[in-house]
Amino acid sequence: MSTPSITPSVNTPIPQSAGGAAVPLAAPARLTQREAGNSLGTFGVKSGLAQMLKGGVIMDVVNAEQARIAEEAGACAVMALERVPADIRAEGGVARMSDPHMIKQIVDAVTIPVMAKVRIGHFVEAQILQAIGVDYIDESEVLTPADEEHHINKHNFKVPFVCGARNLGEALRRISEGAAMIRTKGEAGTGNVVEAVRHERAVMAEIRRASSMNEEELYAFAKEIQAPFHLLKETARLKRLPVVNFAAGGIATPADAALMMHLGCDGVFVGSGIFHSGDPAKRARAIVQAVTHYNNPKILAEVSENLGAAMVGLTIDNKLKGGEYAKRGW
Amino acid sequence: MTQTTDTNLIIGILALQGAFVEHEMALQKLPIQKKIDVVLVRTPGELARCQALVIPGGESTTIALLARLSGLLEPLREFVRVKPVWGTCAGAILLAKAVVGAKKGGQELLGGMSITIARNGWGSQLESFEADLDVTGLRDSERPFTGIFIRAPVVLTLEPSLEDPPIHVVSRLSPSLLPESLTSSNSTPEPKSFVALRQGHHFLTTFHPELTRDNRFHEYFVRECVLPSISPPRP
Repeated sequence: MSTPSITPSVNTPIPQSAGGAAVPLAAPARLTQREAGNSLGTFGVKSGLAQMLKGGVIMDVVNAEQARIAEEAGACAVMALERVPADIRAEGGVARMSDPHMIKQIVDAVTIPVMAKVRIGHFVEAQILQAIGVDYIDESEVLTPADEEHHINKHNFKVPFVCGARNLGEALRRISEGAAMIRTKGEAGTGNVVEAVRHERAVMAEIRRASSMNEEELYAFAKEIQAPFHLLKETARLKRLPVVNFAAGGIATPADAALMMHLGCDGVFVGSGIFHSGDPAKRARAIVQAVTHYNNPKILAEVSENLGAAMVGLTIDNKLKGGEYAKRGW
Repeated sequence: MTQTTDTNLIIGILALQGAFVEHEMALQKLPIQKKIDVVLVRTPGELARCQALVIPGGESTTIALLARLSGLLEPLREFVRVKPVWGTCAGAILLAKAVVGAKKGGQELLGGMSITIARNGWGSQLESFEADLDVTGLRDSERPFTGIFIRAPVVLTLEPSLEDPPIHVVSRLSPSLLPESLTSSNSTPEPKSFVALRQGHHFLTTFHPELTRDNRFHEYFVRECVLPSISPPRP
């Protein structure tokens, strides 16, 4: 046997060709021994980690201290970044990948998975984050895009990626590029949930339409929404996205989080909403409970009490400082 | 109308956080005589209805905190003392007596199995992998099982006391796949290569059978742990 045996994940919802991870440039040297008899970085382990995050809350943190508060409050993962979206919006300028040293401090501070953001299309930032061992990369419209035509070819990495989407076509294009997890774009840094609601409702409505179509109609619909046919067909069969789908962008309260779960999300990202509020630890814990008990209004009422001031929300119109991030990405 | 509902098995899945839906789908398709009613457990009342429990993969720190905030921690500990429980990955950590690599300040466990376990034994997500496992005692045991290990824990020691039921090894990983950090000394690969263990009516897997379409481990749990623990119905 000259070739290593491959053990494809039998549940992988996507043809194996979609997950055929090439060896990335920045692969740690010590992987070589274990590569012989098993498969690292398969689509099964990439999408599998997202499955383990379901029903959880992923919180934006800017330092190790905030990361510890998030872990104690029950976050299932943290997103390490230098500025939360509300500050990026307020301060302006080009927003880039965070300092690897700062990300490593957060990795060392917590036991839960650590995610970090790269600019759309900036595959070298992604190679750097893979080299320092982050658990997930968010190719995010919150940072200033580095490429106005191409997203990162995410199949080339062992580290899994999450990407934002406003509708089904955009979600399936990202999955086709190798994203193992999808989130709504929402409108980050606004504390205004309206765009996240719009995006999740759009995705779910298109899935419901697709699931009642015959094959000829699906070919036409794939063309209309600019999605790969095989992924659209699989989505129609499953009646949901073939990967985990989180809410993100503007979630500020336990009720916002529960609303997104009702609309069909598998979990929630909270960015500025926690550490820009009056009592971050208490609000974080309340949002964690709200995602678990989203179907139980009595518990939602209990956890929503006395949380202190929520972040100041912004109206999303053409005067929005920093512009509409959701329009970034192609 | 071949079966009445009171003969159905009622198996709970702790549904606080993590991959609980995947377990639900696997349990509903088992090739066994009895019908299984699945209860997604988020409250003490829901737990009280169950004859057995599955604790899914997820984040063990998150699940433990949500259990405490939901008033489930003590009911779960009592449940573990008397009824069958299967933990996968994060669930396996919660079923251990002791954990290495806990979050700062420690984390709460349920106990139930006389082992010490290390969280994130292989390291970050980059070390997550799939591997064929040898399985003994499962249906079609000559056919390997695709183990999906995601930031998986590692069993460090087995410490059954004289009163504890013996621990059975149901599946092991090739020692060559163990993390170098745990195999650098000249110690034996055991028990670190043990990835599926049964002790009495408790069962743990450090990997994720619920992420595959192969439900032989679900079948094993019901046959070896759940069915023997249920007293025969009275006439």
